[in-house]
Amino acid sequence: MTIATAIIQKTPIFGRMFPVDKSTGLEEINAWPALMIMASFIWLAVAGLLGFVMPATQIFDLNTDHYYTGLTLHGAALAFPFSFQLMVGVGLHRSGGCVGKAITGWLPAMTFITMNLGAALLTVAVLMGLKVSLIVMYPLPLVGAQMGVWSMNSVIVGFTGIYLVLACMILLYPMLVLKMMFFGKKRPELVLSARTLNDPGMLGMILAALVLLVAGTPLVIVGTTVVGALYGIIPMSMASWATEPVVFQYAFFIFAHNLMEAMAIMVTSALYATLPLYLADGTRKLFSDKLANLALWILLVTSVTSFLHHFITLYPNQPSMLSYWGNIMSWGTGIGAALSIFTIFATIWQHGLRPEPGIMAALIGWVLYILDGASAMVTSNIAWAYQLHGTMWQSGHTMTVIVAMSMMWMGVLYHHYPVMTGRKLDPVLGTWFVRLFTIGGIGAALSMLAAGSAGMPRRFAAWNQEGWMFYGDLIVFFGLILGASFALFVYNMMKSREISAPMGEMATA
Amino acid sequence: MLDMLFTGWGAFWMTLFMLVPFAAMFFYVVYRKSVTDSGPSATPRATLSRLEGIWLTVAFVIFVGVNLASLKFMPLIKAAHAATSNQPLHEVDVSATSWAFDISNRQIEAGSTVRFSGRSKDTMHGFAVYHPDGRMLFTMMLMPGLKNPTTLIHTFNEPGKYKVRCLEYCGIAHHAMMDELTIVKNN
Ligand SMILES: [Cu+2]
Repeated sequence: MTIATAIIQKTPIFGRMFPVDKSTGLEEINAWPALMIMASFIWLAVAGLLGFVMPATQIFDLNTDHYYTGLTLHGAALAFPFSFQLMVGVGLHRSGGCVGKAITGWLPAMTFITMNLGAALLTVAVLMGLKVSLIVMYPLPLVGAQMGVWSMNSVIVGFTGIYLVLACMILLYPMLVLKMMFFGKKRPELVLSARTLNDPGMLGMILAALVLLVAGTPLVIVGTTVVGALYGIIPMSMASWATEPVVFQYAFFIFAHNLMEAMAIMVTSALYATLPLYLADGTRKLFSDKLANLALWILLVTSVTSFLHHFITLYPNQPSMLSYWGNIMSWGTGIGAALSIFTIFATIWQHGLRPEPGIMAALIGWVLYILDGASAMVTSNIAWAYQLHGTMWQSGHTMTVIVAMSMMWMGVLYHHYPVMTGRKLDPVLGTWFVRLFTIGGIGAALSMLAAGSAGMPRRFAAWNQEGWMFYGDLIVFFGLILGASFALFVYNMMKSREISAPMGEMATA
Repeated sequence: MLDMLFTGWGAFWMTLFMLVPFAAMFFYVVYRKSVTDSGPSATPRATLSRLEGIWLTVAFVIFVGVNLASLKFMPLIKAAHAATSNQPLHEVDVSATSWAFDISNRQIEAGSTVRFSGRSKDTMHGFAVYHPDGRMLFTMMLMPGLKNPTTLIHTFNEPGKYKVRCLEYCGIAHHAMMDELTIVKNN
């Protein structure tokens, strides 16, 4: 039994979601992914509850400090240890089964530890008083410490946590994917569904890992320098270049923006790989692999430099040429999206669809992702950016992209679950999960976008102005539905039943 | 008409304009091909390829059209115009510190064109001006440590009280970082 399996077995409540199946000889590809996915749902539970702290402070007129505590923890928990870790877990399981290589050794262990320890440290720092939002708002952590709003110790603990999380996302995870793809021996008994790099499902995995590695490197350099200075390893004078707000902000958004793009590329490719398995006529092929791959390449090329749209309202400090470039590239991603929309529609049209909960979850997640893409393009137009930057529109965009991608991964997880656990899920609960998610996800997204259109600021603990409370109530309403859908998903896993044929469908895929 | 499109609510309608046909098509295709008749379709591949060409062309034309139409409403373009014309500009300097604004002139005559130049003295701040009816007119990002200020040119036409808010999260009293501009009737 591996350490990962043992941890799952010892975890109360959530451990019941993933009784790792050892009977099939696949424990080596099942255990670490199952542990990561289980941990991601623990973080989701935490993040979900914290999400309601924000509206609660507004509706019941509580201390606004709690609002910013909820804001920081909710955003950070949702983006990193939930969404990213879920992606790592499901993604690794996919690649393990596609290339027939074990997911064992120090690399998956370190990936797991850095993510969860880092997120835990950040949580401790926030509880110590550090309220800096999901994106740190550098130099706010240092300014807050100077003003005595929070302690320098909380900054050091928080930065250490963030640093570990970044190490997981930028270095360890991409290394793990690249190692599995290109190194080590293939073991035929572990191959569940052989795929090559020409397959859109595989191409996306590699592209995403490379994007994380490349786009994250500047932030690793800047972050190492800042953390080194905080610990006194590097003299402050040598770190002054990295502590410049403009340097940190750009390094941060080159990464943060492309992190989302990398996750989007991965999840699109996962959909490309999963959809053919549910076609009614048994074709198991997309309308066109070439078009599918072309869409991924367009997304990649246009998205890498579109991060410049984050700084449009900094003009003229961000020169206008860079803003135009960010504007054009952001809309260029729309061409990639248009191509993938056509590929998905044409594939379903040609071959029919078996609408099982897993594939429906992945497809609805994709619909939400397209909705999010449209909102992102609109706010990346320079004229609209000046109307929407810093409003709830942006929060709606961030929330939606994370929820959409998580939903797509949960759909793909449906497909992998029987292989991991030898158990099957209840299709009725699954269908209700998809229905509730559709209403909650689309409703919450549109409510937040509308709030932004009405000028309601994000990260702002005073909703009692200009009629913004109405949008707050709407967001809570749809947020509750969304929360219920996630709870149903988790409940379904806890209630899963043994299947007589433990290999499930994936094995023959 | 275009004036309405390039506002906060215009952005919302634009998003729906892209979303609604897409979502309708999605539910139609999925319903039709999973519930009504999930058999392989008789549509020839050539027809689909032609449809694809039309679809991509429509998307491309809409994308380019919207962005070209937006040029007139981009503050960067207004700034470029102001630089080449001799239009008189009313200069207003803004300095942001946690959690207050220092504004060189809070009273402005209606009809005058103002150039706001904003800086931050400590952390990231925003400078957003709201119309008396509650909609946001524009926002600027003020980043500390920069040599030059962030600037924006705006013409105020209607008299009234215009709220100023910080839209970049700047700590526990961020929501209290507010100010006001008064636009007075031009005599
Ligand atoms: Cu501020």
